[in-house]
Amino acid sequence: MIASLAHRVSGLVLVLFVPLYLWLLHGMTGSPEDFDRVQAWMHAPLGKLSLWLVGVALIYHFANGLRFLSLDAGWCESRAMMRLSARIALGIALLAAVLLVILL
Amino acid sequence: MSEMIRLSIFRFDPERDDKPFMQSYEVPVTKRGMKLLDALNYIKWELDGTLTYRRSCGEGVCGSDGLNINGVNGLACITPVTGLKQPVHVRPLPGMHVIRDLVVDMDHFFDQYRQIQPWMQTDTPTPEHERLQSPEERALLDGQYECILCACCTTSCPSWWWNGDRFLGPAVLLQANRWIVDSRDEATGRRLDQLEDAFRLYRCHQIMNCMEACPKELNPTAAIDSIKRKLLARKS
Repeated sequence: MIASLAHRVSGLVLVLFVPLYLWLLHGMTGSPEDFDRVQAWMHAPLGKLSLWLVGVALIYHFANGLRFLSLDAGWCESRAMMRLSARIALGIALLAAVLLVILL
Repeated sequence: MSEMIRLSIFRFDPERDDKPFMQSYEVPVTKRGMKLLDALNYIKWELDGTLTYRRSCGEGVCGSDGLNINGVNGLACITPVTGLKQPVHVRPLPGMHVIRDLVVDMDHFFDQYRQIQPWMQTDTPTPEHERLQSPEERALLDGQYECILCACCTTSCPSWWWNGDRFLGPAVLLQANRWIVDSRDEATGRRLDQLEDAFRLYRCHQIMNCMEACPKELNPTAAIDSIKRKLLARKS
């Protein structure tokens, strides 16, 4: 249940990030001044938080997406493996969350 | 004095009450290995005869007493009271129309079960002796046939809460798969035709609540995935 809910939430975060991403891309490819402004925003707390959130969402959605694909293919279909793979996907996202705090 | 168990039970009598409410009871632990159904029976027989619930075999075979126990669906007759967080919140199966107290209207659920035509269908003439099955073919039914239709899985499925009018739900799809994998059944094509629908089958989004809720430890999600793969294999 938690793994499934987190999959939907992370997917929503990724979709909502698209306009922000386009704004960043637009800003960075405009003029050198715009580039500096966007660069500064990305290093500000709000920018860092956005990148952290979308980073965690991307990693989780990717890991759990692979899990869903493997289930579709008929791998890891036992009850124990379904539970274990959910924990692994959540664990990977947690690890990514910690790593991104250090890296960003 | 013996140990007491505190319960908070959903009560609703549409003929008397405007709204449902939770009623508290205290029940003594009467025996070792006491189950939640024993506690409900104690309330009904000793404390409050108006409490209404379904029960029959009392040992997890008939599937009558599917309830929402502390937020998780399960059978009262095989759920030990010790180990449950107290007060034990007992509610009817979620997403169902309540007839009274813990009794819900199962008509739609069983109507959906009928839709998959849950009996063996054959086109070839009936052989002189029974239709034989190899041990390997029989083994395919393991994990499928044990379903007791208690509706614990179906009523824990968010997809079924939202689209229960058209999505068949995990219990019925597990049963559908039981007939699809049966080597003696000759209506596999027709069964798959009926299921190949955006709502009837494909509303399953692998939330896996069904697997977590199943008191018989079956895996409806895997059965649904197996049907999806059969449909895909048929196309390629």
